[in-house]
Amino acid sequence: MGVIKIERRKQSFMERLYIPETVKGMFVTLRHLIHNLLNYKDLPIINYPEVKRVYSERFRGRHILTSREDGTTRCVACYMCSTACPAECITIEAGEDDRTREKFPTRYEIDLLRCVYCGYCVDACPEDAIYMTRDYELAIDTRARSVVGLRDLVVPPNMPTEPMGWRPYYGEIRKEGTAGGTGRGQEIRAAAFGDEAAPNPELYKGEARPKSEADSRQGA
Amino acid sequence: MSTPTRFSSMPYTGPAPTNRKPFVPAGLEAIDKRCDEIQAKIAAPYVTAVPGQDLPTFVVEREKIVDVLRKLKEDTELRFELPIDLFGVDYPRRPEGRFDVVYQLYSIKNNDRVRLVVHTDEDKPVPSSLPVFQGFDWFEREAFDMYGIRFDGHYNLRRILTHEMFQGHALRKDYDPAQRWLLTEKDVAKIVPVVEHHPEDSDFEQVTLNLGPSHPATHGTLRIVVTLDGEKIIGADTEIGYLHRCFEKMAETHTYQQVIPFTDRLNYCSAIINNVGYSLAVEKLLGIEAPPRAQYIRLVLSEFMRIADHLVCIATNVLDMGALTNFWYLYQPREEIYQLVEACCGARLLPTYTRIGGLSVDAPANFLDMAKALVKKLPSHINDAEKLLLRNRIFLERVDGIGAITRESAINHGYTGPCLRATGVPYDVRKAKPYIGYDTYDFDIPVAEGGDTLARTLVRLEEMRQSLRILHQAIERGLPAGPVIVDDPYVALPPKEKVYNEMESLIYHFKLIMHGIQPPVGETYFAVEGGNGELGYHIVSDGSKNPYRVRVRPPCFAVYQAFRKMIVGQTIADAIATLGSLNIIAGELDR
Ligand code: SF4
Ligand code: SF4
Repeated sequence: MGVIKIERRKQSFMERLYIPETVKGMFVTLRHLIHNLLNYKDLPIINYPEVKRVYSERFRGRHILTSREDGTTRCVACYMCSTACPAECITIEAGEDDRTREKFPTRYEIDLLRCVYCGYCVDACPEDAIYMTRDYELAIDTRARSVVGLRDLVVPPNMPTEPMGWRPYYGEIRKEGTAGGTGRGQEIRAAAFGDEAAPNPELYKGEARPKSEADSRQGA
Repeated sequence: MSTPTRFSSMPYTGPAPTNRKPFVPAGLEAIDKRCDEIQAKIAAPYVTAVPGQDLPTFVVEREKIVDVLRKLKEDTELRFELPIDLFGVDYPRRPEGRFDVVYQLYSIKNNDRVRLVVHTDEDKPVPSSLPVFQGFDWFEREAFDMYGIRFDGHYNLRRILTHEMFQGHALRKDYDPAQRWLLTEKDVAKIVPVVEHHPEDSDFEQVTLNLGPSHPATHGTLRIVVTLDGEKIIGADTEIGYLHRCFEKMAETHTYQQVIPFTDRLNYCSAIINNVGYSLAVEKLLGIEAPPRAQYIRLVLSEFMRIADHLVCIATNVLDMGALTNFWYLYQPREEIYQLVEACCGARLLPTYTRIGGLSVDAPANFLDMAKALVKKLPSHINDAEKLLLRNRIFLERVDGIGAITRESAINHGYTGPCLRATGVPYDVRKAKPYIGYDTYDFDIPVAEGGDTLARTLVRLEEMRQSLRILHQAIERGLPAGPVIVDDPYVALPPKEKVYNEMESLIYHFKLIMHGIQPPVGETYFAVEGGNGELGYHIVSDGSKNPYRVRVRPPCFAVYQAFRKMIVGQTIADAIATLGSLNIIAGELDR
């Protein structure tokens, strides 16, 4: 069994003098300073919030509920996500569509303050209905606002995949390469999601989506 | 301190009916043989061997437990001198007594373990093992706090993790976890440190000072009460539990898979190691092994996490002593380690990366490149910090001989990890009982002499280099091909494509989410080398989807209980330096 014994070094005379070693130490610091000045672009500092960190496409941020092509939510209110959730933060109430006999959620709430962002709900969903995004700025000013409902969660169909984080890709990876994240900062959120256009905050808001038939059916 | 039963209002219906087969540990014959050998050594009628367990296990009569512990410790051949764990398990309505008190000892000499079980009841106190193992001090208090098991002769048997106004005992099976208890300021326990020696001719009055619970130098919510003579500490006491969330009760009310996110929050500086330890423990119970690719990724990330843990420890330790530069140099690589973790699993601090039977998702395609770049970058940061610290006379003189603990005392207190190795004991779980393939890697265990703050820093610095050595070898070998999770529909969710398209997979998917993983009936212990010592999980399964009991053996808990003795005689500033070098993580300490 390999064991190495670390001996304590006796301080040399120069070290005991303290001042010369301090100067040497300053050189280490100076080297870092010059290196950083010359490689300003590579500094690990991110000027948040002007510049935002790019997380990988597996990032587990705020949730969204996806929609089918016809604008109805994919969720079939099967309660799998709320069963799998270790924080017990998903509340679902199911309703039934009179015409198609489809089950759908009349109420779907996630308490983002209880949520531990583990991604189990995404793994559990058999319908490809719940994803997590790379949205990590979740500051709220009252506790009540931590509970987000269908209005905030449902996104229109054909949402670009760039803002999305943790998705059900258990067993198979969708994208080769860096898994999206560079860890570096990038200016404004749109750029962070790999697209030059200005950020579209509406993407995350239920109100922005055109009123579809599904809405009137769900009575949202 | 009472144990009012009116708060134990949950109707307990007994263990869930199950048709699962009992758990049969691997290598059972060797264990049972060892069991017989040990029993022949103790040779006492009050010790009964329990065959078929994963460690040599004995049921000991309650009154005789201290004798047996002493025999096991002092026998020149057995030398079970390291107290690993003591905890309770509740089996309501069992005829031979409601509670089990489980002791686990480790023999450094023989690299061997033994488990002792004592059956007891609410009104039958167990003799305290403090005269033999001081390391069981807080463990006994915890068993009292969580179960109401009394220990005769314990000098300070009061609640440790919950507060004074807490009613009932949280880990009893009939305790309703939804209850809430309010602690007001007037009810907070008044802590007066015991002063053993106050010199008569002192120029100063005795002053009692409260450090924490929210003090910047305690890095977490720890409360230290010190009695001072001038600047010198003449008496100290510690109070913990401010971050207690009853991980063990939560584990009992959730499925095996759902416990993984909770383990993240134990030692949050090296969360992946916690994930790995827990998953391996459940896998041992299930008798399965994760595929090589998963084991490989687990190993690489565990080593990165160990480095991150040590980086944080050294950085914050020297920060408390005023060395800010090192803090920046050491935190930068840590940030990049977290970036690698985030690329793998989508979160930095709380990864929840492993699943029982493997990993949640495969590592990204450029995993090895990222790891390679990091391994290349790390040494320069470590070297810089080492240069700035170990050639700095002020640092050296501030830490040399400070917060020292002798080898005997460290062993007796149940020290493991870098703090034990700093006293010269080469005990490392990765070598003693290799897991996920550590035995195929070439690395050394660094030890130092003295057991003081400097020794702990030296050990940590060298350990990072050894971890880098492991990582170099791992990267050279490359990622093994294959899946990252077992192909067993009773353990792992089927691939999503199949769930969407095939009925059979969908049914398995539903079954697994709704009914969880159901391991065989039995109990097992599995330990990994955490950032701060032996991190063990003892899991008791009754065959249902929820664990019957999950016990986590927190290394910090054992380490921190000796702290109040270590700092007596030092100044306050030294106490802070000592605390930093012990690397106490409140999330793991309080669970
Ligand atoms: S991320 Fe985890 S905690 Fe949050 S809603 Fe999903 S399952 Fe629950
Ligand atoms: S989000 Fe998925 S798992 Fe949750 S209720 Fe809807 S369909 Fe079921």
